Amino acid sequence: MNERANVGIGARLPRKEDDRLMRGRGLFVGDISMPGLQDVAFLRSPLAHGRIVSVDVPEDCAGRVFTSADMAGVKPIRAVSGLPGFKPSSQPPLATGTVRFAGELVAMCVDENRAQAEDLVSRVNVDIEALPVLADTGTAQAVDAVRVHEDWADNIYLETKIEKGDRAVLDNAAIKVEREIRLSRQCMAPLEGKGTVAWWDSRLDQLVVYTSTQLPHMMRTGLAECLGLEERQIHVVAPDVGGAFGFKCILQPEEVCIAWLAMTRRRPFRWLEDRREHLVAAANTREHHYRITGYADAEGRLLGIEADVAVDVGAYSVWPFSACLESAQIASILPGPYVMPYYACRTVSVATNKPPFTPYRGVARTGVCFAIELIVDAIAREAGREPSQVRLDNLVRPEQMPFTNITGKLFDSGDYPESVRKAVEAIDLPALRARQGSAGDDGRLLGIGFATYCEQAAHGTTVYSGWGIPMVPGFEQATARVTPDGGLELRIGVHSHGQGMETSMAQVANEILGIDPAQINLVHGDTALTPYSTGTWGSRSMVMAGGAVSRACEIIAERAKVIGAHLLQSSPDQVTVSDGKVMAAGGSVTFAEIANAWYKRPETLPADVAPEGLEVTAGYKPKVDSGTFSYATHAAVVAVDPEFGAVDILDYVVVEDGGTLVNPLIVDGQILGGVAQGIGTALYEESPYNADGQPLASTFMDYIIPGPCEVPDIRIVHMETPSPFTAHGVKGIGEGGAIAPPAAIANAINDALRPLGAEVATTPVTPHRLLSAIAEARAKAAGAVAQ
Amino acid sequence: MNGLRLTVNGLPVAEHVEPRTSLADLLRENLNLTGTHLGCEQGVCGACTVFVDGVPVRSCISTAVSCSGADVRTIESFDADPLMGELREAFNKHHALQCGFCTPGMLVMARDIVERLGDADEERIRLELAGNLCRCTGYAGIVKAIRSVVLARQAAGTAPSLGAPQGLGPAGSGHGQVTEAKPRQAMTPPIPASSPKSAKLGKLAATAPSVKQSFVIEFPPETVWSRFGDVPAMVPCIPGASLVGRTDDGNFQVSMRVKMGPIGAQFAGTANQQRNDDMLTGVIHGSGRDERSGSLARGELSYALHEMNGGAATRVDLEVTYSLSGALGQFARGGIVTHFIAAITAQFADNLKRSLSPEEAPNATQQPRELRLAGSMATALKSWLGATIRKLFSR
Amino acid sequence: MKPVDFRYSRPGTIPEAIELLNEGAGGAKIMAGGQSLGPMLNLRLAQPEQIVDITAIPALTMVTEERDAVVFGACITHAAFEDGRVPDPANGFLRRVAGGIAYRAVRNRGTIGGSLVHADPAADWITTLTALDAELIVATAQGERRVALEAFMMMAFGVHLDDGEFLAGIRIRKFSPAARFGYYKFCRKRGEFAEAMAAVVIDPALNIYRGVIGATQSRPLVLDDIRDLLRGGGESSAPNGAALARARDRVADLGIDDDPITDAMHGNAFARALEQVIA
Repeated sequence: MNERANVGIGARLPRKEDDRLMRGRGLFVGDISMPGLQDVAFLRSPLAHGRIVSVDVPEDCAGRVFTSADMAGVKPIRAVSGLPGFKPSSQPPLATGTVRFAGELVAMCVDENRAQAEDLVSRVNVDIEALPVLADTGTAQAVDAVRVHEDWADNIYLETKIEKGDRAVLDNAAIKVEREIRLSRQCMAPLEGKGTVAWWDSRLDQLVVYTSTQLPHMMRTGLAECLGLEERQIHVVAPDVGGAFGFKCILQPEEVCIAWLAMTRRRPFRWLEDRREHLVAAANTREHHYRITGYADAEGRLLGIEADVAVDVGAYSVWPFSACLESAQIASILPGPYVMPYYACRTVSVATNKPPFTPYRGVARTGVCFAIELIVDAIAREAGREPSQVRLDNLVRPEQMPFTNITGKLFDSGDYPESVRKAVEAIDLPALRARQGSAGDDGRLLGIGFATYCEQAAHGTTVYSGWGIPMVPGFEQATARVTPDGGLELRIGVHSHGQGMETSMAQVANEILGIDPAQINLVHGDTALTPYSTGTWGSRSMVMAGGAVSRACEIIAERAKVIGAHLLQSSPDQVTVSDGKVMAAGGSVTFAEIANAWYKRPETLPADVAPEGLEVTAGYKPKVDSGTFSYATHAAVVAVDPEFGAVDILDYVVVEDGGTLVNPLIVDGQILGGVAQGIGTALYEESPYNADGQPLASTFMDYIIPGPCEVPDIRIVHMETPSPFTAHGVKGIGEGGAIAPPAAIANAINDALRPLGAEVATTPVTPHRLLSAIAEARAKAAGAVAQ
Repeated sequence: MNGLRLTVNGLPVAEHVEPRTSLADLLRENLNLTGTHLGCEQGVCGACTVFVDGVPVRSCISTAVSCSGADVRTIESFDADPLMGELREAFNKHHALQCGFCTPGMLVMARDIVERLGDADEERIRLELAGNLCRCTGYAGIVKAIRSVVLARQAAGTAPSLGAPQGLGPAGSGHGQVTEAKPRQAMTPPIPASSPKSAKLGKLAATAPSVKQSFVIEFPPETVWSRFGDVPAMVPCIPGASLVGRTDDGNFQVSMRVKMGPIGAQFAGTANQQRNDDMLTGVIHGSGRDERSGSLARGELSYALHEMNGGAATRVDLEVTYSLSGALGQFARGGIVTHFIAAITAQFADNLKRSLSPEEAPNATQQPRELRLAGSMATALKSWLGATIRKLFSR
Repeated sequence: MKPVDFRYSRPGTIPEAIELLNEGAGGAKIMAGGQSLGPMLNLRLAQPEQIVDITAIPALTMVTEERDAVVFGACITHAAFEDGRVPDPANGFLRRVAGGIAYRAVRNRGTIGGSLVHADPAADWITTLTALDAELIVATAQGERRVALEAFMMMAFGVHLDDGEFLAGIRIRKFSPAARFGYYKFCRKRGEFAEAMAAVVIDPALNIYRGVIGATQSRPLVLDDIRDLLRGGGESSAPNGAALARARDRVADLGIDDDPITDAMHGNAFARALEQVIA
């Protein structure tokens, strides 16, 4: 037998999708042109909170400027949750009466091109009477605060409380550390903004919406609800999407507006979100505020965590995730990968006069990891022990797997402590500790930080049904079709926008059928062509859609065997499928020959052939659907310049276990990209708002995302513990990279600042924040000396 | 609209575009060359980078007309280019792209790096790529891919072939004279702003930025007090401000032109005043909307008069508190605006003093214009900023 | 976002350009490479009625060597300096500064004159050329006038140019071979706005001992004579560290920004620039 290079599961196969993108032949929403296409620009509220007194439209603009009055009958975006006490908000596509954040849509202007549409915007006058502005969760929770939604009793979407274990265990805690920990508001900033082109296909009597989304099928559902259409009347396509990261999961009011224009005007319209719109008015993320106390024994063994967490979820509940998914997750995953006898957490999702909040890569985990990992390090400092050692003492141990943790999460598999040991070894901690004591870093302070997390991914029905949001995932489906010439078409309902699924799904199919990935086509992102799916989010695609592709190909294999065996004059139980062929002892037939028989020479088929043929739609859900748990330890080595507050990342190691890796090249890419975003959260990215609710970062000059010089060489060490619950042992891995960097880097900074007695606890650790921490510590020390 | 001729991907192109059309929009919208992407239109992200006269240029912040006569090459024209072929292979091998949106700009920049520098190491590659943002890959694959091409070419003895760019001026610009390019049509002016009332814009936040200034004026408090009470005389002292009229409810209608470098705004709004005769204090509230950007401004000028020199002079304490909403207020570098307001306040103080002096009287009735940085303004600033420095460093 | 509509013209001579400016009566804006103006146009923060593109005026891309100075046309790009395509009267300092401005694709169009007139306090040329005491040649209806850069910039984005004038050239004196140049800037991200910057120029042959602190909220601060801060450096016996610490504190104590942390950064940037000339 010939040794053939593996191109199935486990192969570092270069991506099939690269070529078109490197030749300028991708097709993004903004690349679509068609006759009669008109551009839309929005008039947005300059004030963060107010009552619209009037919108004055010049007479000659009639028919080109639209306000909410024109859109009567369109329903507001309303994302509910089944969690008790949740208050849903109603977000009209164009503001009606009240504006609740600066940047909210007030009117839309239509013209031949974007520049002219913007000219129209500048000719429309909106008069708004200001209301008091709630620009932070503290102000918004004040008893006498104005209400973001007039009919609410307070500004809280949802309050949750959880308590597990017996609080008496805290009584004898030798160590108690209390911290106030914050993550600043952030944008997701995919390089391609949101974009929508819509028109009416009069032949099919369908609204066609090309939109930059991760969830085409969900968008169809959401648009149907708002526009009052039946879902069969809407066709949604997500073409090439230039990065998404969670931002492109939500139904945006702009999408509803463009779809409404196309529906009512029966001609094509386009809106392309520009960078300014994204930075000032699109959904934000990450803004958590923790008051958290960690309790431990003298050695640093965790006794319990108590936390009070506020999430600033802005003015509206986003569809379909709602305004409470983030806080619900915070409450359930704050204990992280650790064992502890007591845990209590209260969360509030607070409405403010800021843009809505939607989960970003890592969802709540990035914030949670930042909070718990800073606490673990603070405990280690109190105990006078290496933080990595304290982690080893507190992590779930491999022999406990599968392990149900204090909040009821079922960790599937893995050796969490080993990830710490490998990270310690990879960065050579002893050598760094020796170097820390010596000079030779140009007056800069060296610090080493660790962060360990585990990441629930691809969690399904049992988890989401409890939250009762508009989207509860069930079975995932895939279609596999052998083409008449022996190629393979796969159709999946999730969407690939950088994850390389055109390659990795082909590898899964190759694993089952042996068909060369070059002969496999992936169709995705189209409601007319693919099975229904809740889409790409929650690191679920490889597990769920990959599992479905695997199932579909297995069924294809069985059917091909029947035909192949017949052609080989053998029997199905005597043949195997590999290498794109059905093999019998005496010979083989290719899929091309089998397809030829099925499609073109049915007279040659066996009598018992399955009439469904060489096309299969198969569904998949893991045996246990509470999710896979990838985990990792990140280790960062930083040099802090105490003169400028600059942080240089000298070394960064990720020890990662994502179960079986379908394509390690792609997995590495996901981790590296995730870490780069995590570095952004840790050190650079922030959307500040002033007390008037005005966003202060409207350009990429103000909102800094890391460039090539800000992201170091990152080293990855893989562990590979298959999940016992999923097809091929695959775990979700797409988000993990972005979870730990803020924690690892802040811990490294705090390690560096330790000689100065300073500590940081807010992302991003800007030069100003870092220098303030040092100045505060110096002032405190000076005060202590004076006394 | 005007005729524009240039060469794109080796072919002559004649198009009609507005002067405001960017090179990127010309390529994408007129020529359907959509491989050139727009990621920010602020000149930061690099997704729109194309070759103009052989060197990489940001097509989003270069107008098409300014590149009239230039030679433009976009990502679509490199299918047969051997070096781009090597780069594509290396990008694929090192997984240098995920969503692919930044990739055309990255490849353009990568090609320039390899050609121009020949021997760039990883650190230099990162430095040279600093103007190209990628949100997906963390840059590792991109840097490795470019480095691998550099090494392969060194091993093969391929020397950098690109000569230094020709000419000293902006790449693509200045190719001969252009006939005047006119806008599409005369813009219909906005409908006159219905001046927002101060009350409608709410209270200033406690954290709103403010500027304080004090000065002494050689007039008795009563004179100064009556001048502050005379709004029609006061308004022209504010640089750029002019009185338009009065509203039915007794407020003053004011217009104010502000110019900070290329940024210009014309606020139309209202003002009113509250005074305390016993305390000799007052507050002028003003608010307005910039017709062009839709931005809103609110300000309060508080003043307190103190008798000096037994009534011969008056010390005036001014405090200006302000807030900006909308596009003009949505920037991180607010300190610059505060300095600007301080400069306006300084000139206001200066104008006020002169408006009270008989010999300077014409000044008070001078046509209002936007703040100009000349004469008294420069002097005021210089003395304000410079005093301490000279004290410390003069020998 | 897209710019507002404007008229555009590209004159071939300086008088034509001035005529266009005068016709524009304040609504006209000069453009060279447009790399600072471009983003402002796209954001509609700048809304000129007319753009006068001066890049086709041959004199503005010329270099003239004088006996003791070099005059650079205002439309010469940063990349031309970076690549050494023009002479460097400051012994390679201009080349070094140019290479650190923004990004290569911006440097291929961005010009030295455009940067100076834009007058962003955090821009490289503003601070470094102030340190070199550059003289600006302003084209006027009457011919030209000359003004020191220090007097030209008055505040952030505010320069001393009347409606009918524009910057035509920059005259930089030839420094002696023994001259030393220090420049330090601190940016959060490579190529973006500096948070702190300072330049130091020492040329005993020309009796120049200048320090400049940039990236303030307004114009750069000029320290005309920093000889007292050099003592302890160079030939003196006192350690450099002590001199640097003194310089750092002196600048930090100026209270440039009313914020002790930013003020300390200014001091640190100055000390680092100083270190380069006394090391």
